[in-house]
Amino acid sequence: MNETNNETSTGSNRDLSNAADMIVCENVSKWYGDFQALDEVSATIKEQEVVVVLGPSGSGKSTWIRCINRLEQHQEGRIEVDGIELTNDLRNIEKVRSEVGMVFQQFNLFPHLKVIDNVTLAPIWVRKKPKVEAQEQAIALLERVGIPEQADKYPGQLSGGQQQRVAIARALAMEPRIMLFDEPTSALDPEMIKEVLDVMKELALSGMTMMVVTHEVGFAKEVADRIIFMDEGQIVEIGTPETFFTDPVEERSKLFLSQIL
Amino acid sequence: MSDFNVTGAEGTVSIKPPPETPKLPPRLWIKENLFSSPFNIFLTVASTGILLILGRGLLSFIFSHERQWGSTATNLRLLMTQAYPEEQYMRVWVCVGVIFTLTGLSMAVWNAGSRVALRRLGSFLLSTGVVIDILTLLAPFSSSATIIWLCVGTGISLFGGSLVKFSDEDKTMSVLTVTVIALAVAILSLWVVPYGHHSFVFERTPRSLAEAGTVALTTKLPWTIMLLIGIAAYFAGKAIREKVSQNVLRVSVLTIWFLAPPALLYLVLRDPDFDMGHVLNTDIPIFLVFAAVGAGLLFWLTRPTAGELGKVIAAITLLIGFGSFLTPMRMIIRILILLLAIFAISAPTFAGDTQTRRRYSLGWIGVSGVTCWLVTAINTPSTVEVPGSFFIGGVSLTLLIAIFTIVISFPLGILLALGRTSTMPIFRILCTWFIEFVRGIPLITILIFFSIMFPMFLPKEMEIGEVASIVIGYSLFSSAYLAENVRGGLQSVTRGQHEAADAVGMTTPQKTLFIVLPQALRVSIPPLVSHCIGVFKETSLLAIIGLFDILYIARNVIPNQTEFLGSVRENLLFVCLIYWILSYQMSKASQRLERRVGLGER
Ligand SMILES: Nc1ncnc2c1ncn2[C@@H]1O[C@H](COP(=O)(O)OP(=O)(O)OP(=O)(O)O)[C@@H](O)[C@H]1O
Ligand SMILES: [Mg+2]
Repeated sequence: MNETNNETSTGSNRDLSNAADMIVCENVSKWYGDFQALDEVSATIKEQEVVVVLGPSGSGKSTWIRCINRLEQHQEGRIEVDGIELTNDLRNIEKVRSEVGMVFQQFNLFPHLKVIDNVTLAPIWVRKKPKVEAQEQAIALLERVGIPEQADKYPGQLSGGQQQRVAIARALAMEPRIMLFDEPTSALDPEMIKEVLDVMKELALSGMTMMVVTHEVGFAKEVADRIIFMDEGQIVEIGTPETFFTDPVEERSKLFLSQIL
Repeated sequence: MSDFNVTGAEGTVSIKPPPETPKLPPRLWIKENLFSSPFNIFLTVASTGILLILGRGLLSFIFSHERQWGSTATNLRLLMTQAYPEEQYMRVWVCVGVIFTLTGLSMAVWNAGSRVALRRLGSFLLSTGVVIDILTLLAPFSSSATIIWLCVGTGISLFGGSLVKFSDEDKTMSVLTVTVIALAVAILSLWVVPYGHHSFVFERTPRSLAEAGTVALTTKLPWTIMLLIGIAAYFAGKAIREKVSQNVLRVSVLTIWFLAPPALLYLVLRDPDFDMGHVLNTDIPIFLVFAAVGAGLLFWLTRPTAGELGKVIAAITLLIGFGSFLTPMRMIIRILILLLAIFAISAPTFAGDTQTRRRYSLGWIGVSGVTCWLVTAINTPSTVEVPGSFFIGGVSLTLLIAIFTIVISFPLGILLALGRTSTMPIFRILCTWFIEFVRGIPLITILIFFSIMFPMFLPKEMEIGEVASIVIGYSLFSSAYLAENVRGGLQSVTRGQHEAADAVGMTTPQKTLFIVLPQALRVSIPPLVSHCIGVFKETSLLAIIGLFDILYIARNVIPNQTEFLGSVRENLLFVCLIYWILSYQMSKASQRLERRVGLGER
C-alpha cells in the first residue's frame, strides 16, 4: 500500500488540495418507497483523505456509504469512484467493488470458513491470485491487524474485536484503494473498541483513503481530515475536526454535538 | 481448506471440562426417575404392563408354530436380488465386496469412529442381557429353548456386569472395534450355530428343503470374506493415509464412491456385450474429439482476461446444444455439447492461475469420459440373461432406485431452489411453477405415468428402460420437495452474508457457490435427511406398478409359492425390519454429520 507516501500524519493539518479525487458524489438522492433517505448529497473525497461521517440515527449515513459500493442503488445524481461511474453496468460495479473495501457493524464474517479462508477467498477467486501467494498475503495481513495466531480458527471462536479485525484484513486482502467503515465499533464491548480503532489509525497513517461512519469522537478528532455532518438525508455541514467540534456553524450541528459530547 | 498450521478441524481452543454431575447409583436413579410420586409410580407400572403385553404378543406371533419362517429363510436370495442367475452370482458378491472395500477405506480416510468407555459398553451389555432374559420368559418357548436363551442372556449380562465392575474408569475402546467384534461374532455364528440349511432343491417334492445343520456354504463363506475385505481395506486405508495428502485422498475416495454405482451396475452386474468395432470407430473418436476441443476451449475460456468474448462463446455453445435437438444426430453428441456449454458458462467463475485452469480442463475430460462410457454401456445389451423386465430386484432394486433418485435429485433440487429464489423473473417463474405443479401430484400418479406413458413421448429412435424412466420421474418428484427444503436453508442465510460477499467483489455464482450454499445446506441437513429417508421408504410404491421390489416379492411372490402358500405376514415383518434398519442407519449418519459440521455450535 502506497509505500511512496512520506507523510506520517493525518488530520486536518495536511494539505490534500493537490490530491486526485477518489469519490465524487453529485446531488445523490435515494428513496425507500416514498421515504427520501438521501437528499441531494454532494461531496468529494480526495485520495488519502480520511473522512468521518457523523449524524443522528436515521440520518442516512449508512445509506450513503452503502451507495458508494452499490450495496444500495441511488436513484438520482452521480457517483464516481476512482474515475468509474456507478451505473447499472455490472462490470463497473464489480470493478468498483474490488477497489472499495467495506467493514460492517456486524462483521459479517463467513462463519463456515476458517479465518485464513475468509481472508483468502476473494483474492483467489476474484483477483485470481495463486493460492500460496494469497495465503502468504493473508498471514501478513493478519499480522498487521495483530492476530496471526488465530488463522486456523473459525470466526465463531473469536471475540468481537478479533472478528472485526479479521473483517478489516479480509477487506484489505483485495488491496482496495478506498476503505468504507460503517460503525465498525458499535457492536463491540468498550475494551475491544480500542484494538479496532488502533488498526484503523494505523491504516489511515499508511495513506488509505477512508470514509468512516462512527460515533467515536476521539477517533474523529485525532484521525479525520474532514467531518461531514448529516441530518435527514442531507449534508448539513462539512468542516475540519477543529472547527466542527469547537465552533460548528449550523444550529443542527450544535444540537447534535450537545447531545453526544 | 488451508494447508498450513493445521491443528485439527476444531482449531486449538483448549476448553476446561465442566464439573461432572455426580452419577446416581442405579437404585437411586430408578427411585428418582420412575417412582418419585404416586402418579409417577402409576405411570411406570402401567407402561411396563403395556410393554410386557405387547412384547408377549409379538413374541407369540413370531414363535408361533403356524409361522412359516422357512419361507423367508429359503427365499432370502429372492428378497435380496430377485432372479439373478445362480451361476453369475459371483458378480453380486463382487459388488458387495467393492462396497465393503470402499466403506473400510473411507472409515480409515475420514478417521471415523469415536471411542466408547468400557464401562458404558458394559452397562449396555448388562441391560441387553436382562432384556433377552425377560423376552425369553415371555416367549412361548419349549423348556429347553428357554433354558438355552436364559443362559445366553445371563452370560451377556454377567460379561457386561464384570466389565462395569472391573474395568478402569477411563479405559475406552474404539466404536469401530466394537462393531467389528459384533459383526465377527454374528458371522462366526453362521459357521457354528445350526440355524438350518434352507434351500430350494428342484428335483424333489416338496422342492424346499429345511433341515437342521449349519448355514449353506454359499452364504457363510462370502460374508466371512466380505468382513475380512472390509477390515483389510480399513488397514490399507490407514497405511495410505500416512503417505498421501489428505485432500487428494479424500477427493479420490469420493470420486470412486460416485463412480461406483454406475460402474458396478453397468460393468459388473449387466456385463455389457460391447461391439468393439463400433466402440473403436465411433464411440472413442467422438470422445477424443470432444475431450480435446473442449479442454482447449475451456483452458482458453478460464483465462482471467477472457472477458466478454468468453461469455459470447459460452452462449453460442449453449445455443448449439439446444439447436442440436432440431436435427437428427447421436444422443451422445447432444449431451456432450450441452455439458460443454454448462462448463463454458461456469468458466469465468473458476478462472485463475494456470494450475486452476489445467484442473478445470482435466475435470471436463473426466466428466465427458464418464458420460461417454455411461451412454455406451447403457446402450449395449447385457450378457447376463435374466427373466423378467429388469435384471435385478428385491432389496437391490429398492436401493438402486433410491440411490439413483437421491443422487440425481440433489443437484436438481438445489438448482430449482436457486432458480426459485433468483432475481431473474424467467427462472423464478419457471421453477416456481414446476415445483408447485409437481407437488400437486401424488407420487403414485407420477410413477404410473413414467412407467407407462413416458416412453411413448420420446422420439422414435430413443428407447428407455422402464426402471430408467421411473428413476427420471421419481427424481423430478423428489427434486421438487428437496428444492423447498433447500429454499428454507437459503432464506436462513442473512443479508449481511450476501452483502459481505458482494462487497469483496464476488460474482453471483461465486457468492452462491462459496458463501450461500454451504451455509444453506448446513442448515438444511435435518430436513434433507428426512427427505432421503422418505425417498427410500416410498420406493415401496413400486410394488403397485408391478416392479419386483422387496415389498412386491414379500407380498405377492413368496405367498404364491406352492410350499409357502399364504406366508404373507412373516415376510412383511421381515421387510419392515429391513426398511427400519436401513432408515435408522441413515438417521444415525445424519446425526453424525450434523455434529461434524458443528450445526449446534453456532
Ligand atoms: N431497506 C430500507 N427500507 C426502507 N427504509 C430504509 C431502509 N434502510 C434504511 N431505511 C430508512 O432510511 C433512513 C436512513 O437509514 P440509515 O440506515 O442510512 O441511517 P443511519 O444514519 O445509518 O442511522 P444509524 O446511525 O441508526 O445507523 C432511516 O430512516 C431508515 O428507516
Ligand atoms: Mg447505520
